[in-house]
Amino acid sequence: MNTQRERVVITVLGANKPGILAGVTRIVADANVNVDDISQKVMQDLFALMLVTDFSQANCTFEEFQGRLQKGADEMKVRIFAQHEDVFKFMHRV
Amino acid sequence: MTNPFSLDEVIELISAVGVETFDIRTITLGISLNSCSDENVNRCATKIYEKVTRIGRNLVPTARHIEKKYGIPIVNKRLSVTPIAQVGGACHGDTLVPLAQALDRAADELGVDFVGGFTAHIQKGFKRGDQLLINSIPDALCATKRVCSSVNVATSAAGINMDGVYRMAQIIKEAAERTRDRDGLACAKLVIFANQPEDNPFMAGACHGNGEAEAIVHVGISGPGVVRAALTNAADLDFGELSELIKKTSFKITRVGELVGREASRMMGIPFGVIDLSLAPTPAEGDSIADILELMGLEKVGCPGTTAALALLNDAVKKGGVMACTYAGGLSGAFIPVTEDAGMCGAVEAGALTIEKLEAMTSVCSVGLDMVAIPGDVSVEVLAGIIADEMAIGVINHKTTACRLIPVPGKKAGEVVDFGGLLGKGPIMDVSKFSPNRFVRRGGRIPAPIHSMRN
Repeated sequence: MNTQRERVVITVLGANKPGILAGVTRIVADANVNVDDISQKVMQDLFALMLVTDFSQANCTFEEFQGRLQKGADEMKVRIFAQHEDVFKFMHRV
Repeated sequence: MTNPFSLDEVIELISAVGVETFDIRTITLGISLNSCSDENVNRCATKIYEKVTRIGRNLVPTARHIEKKYGIPIVNKRLSVTPIAQVGGACHGDTLVPLAQALDRAADELGVDFVGGFTAHIQKGFKRGDQLLINSIPDALCATKRVCSSVNVATSAAGINMDGVYRMAQIIKEAAERTRDRDGLACAKLVIFANQPEDNPFMAGACHGNGEAEAIVHVGISGPGVVRAALTNAADLDFGELSELIKKTSFKITRVGELVGREASRMMGIPFGVIDLSLAPTPAEGDSIADILELMGLEKVGCPGTTAALALLNDAVKKGGVMACTYAGGLSGAFIPVTEDAGMCGAVEAGALTIEKLEAMTSVCSVGLDMVAIPGDVSVEVLAGIIADEMAIGVINHKTTACRLIPVPGKKAGEVVDFGGLLGKGPIMDVSKFSPNRFVRRGGRIPAPIHSMRN
């Protein structure tokens, strides 16, 4: 997984409160994963964040990374998903 | 590098999985067992076990990896094999049950959910292996947990083997009686087909046909919940717009299946076969074909208009899905099982849906009378008549039809049975009290229809 460009989409959903973006990007930075793109929306009290990241220089496996994100999600009481970008490319683009 | 998709599009997939029960129903690995024939049934069983466990060893780890990578649940991992009647035709003795047990052990060893292919094709007549296999079905289904059986009794080219239909009605009754303590559960693993596909990834009717490669990966999608969610705000759409909406939804869920299939094929080093574009419901709340039809504007499934609504749905699913994948195959269409779909069960309980209306619906969808519980005292002749009608619909319309009927021993119409898990629970449907006794016992084969002669 670490040899070529691998883009991973991280999505965070939960109740809006300070520190979610900081908490997630800390985990991402610690894994040496670079952020290519970021977008965020707050709908009423619901917080939605998407990070498109480059996983190719990561210092851990994808499964370890998912584990760290899950731990962060439990601490921040939000839901975090990390999915390879191909699934969105396939679903939404011809 | 700019981002190719929006936050809304990302959330669309996450909520499809999290809220609308979207999943890949199955990755099914087809394996040829032609090389496993042997005169000795136990040696044949050993060869089957060895080949299946060797070729299938990466299936479950691969599926788990793909689930994590893309965040898409893959509910079942399955195997389909060469029709065992062909493999076991050379075996001496009078039973093929050891071959079913070998498949069961291999499935258990690999951690797969089901294995299909305890199968015979008898549309024109019985070979020795077919007789052996059919006689072994009740024992095989009782002696195994994961093995599914199917028998093709009719094709559009050959007509309907009515001796086969009658024999299978007897086998269904016997299999039900043998599992009396579990409400005839063995019959949930037995399907009678017309025009059985050779590349179907869905159970209980999967087998690995003679035209297939040595091994091949098929994918079955699911997704009634996603279509249902799309239609929730579609009350004002006309039929053209409705069809468009279903097509778009079908396209998206099929694309995910295409990605999963390609990745599974690459990881296992086994060619990718087909995507089966079927909307496969589950007993889960909202994951229902009946709910979709009722959202289209039917008061209850089974009311007038139901067949037309199902025809529209089935066609739109195919049109949307076929552009999303390289090869479509298998059954490809909407499934309308009864006990596996809570909405269908509700329609039966409300008195809206009868077995006769269900039969009409099967003329425009992809399977047939599927997971229909009927009274245990149904006669072999009535059962044979129901199967023959269903086969006739398939043969005349050049399509697959099937019967998965469960005569529930000791229970009557209106009582509820619970088969557990994906097989679901639901009411027993009433069947006709009038008998086709003389018709189904005539013997022989109903000739193929005139439009089968296309050469």
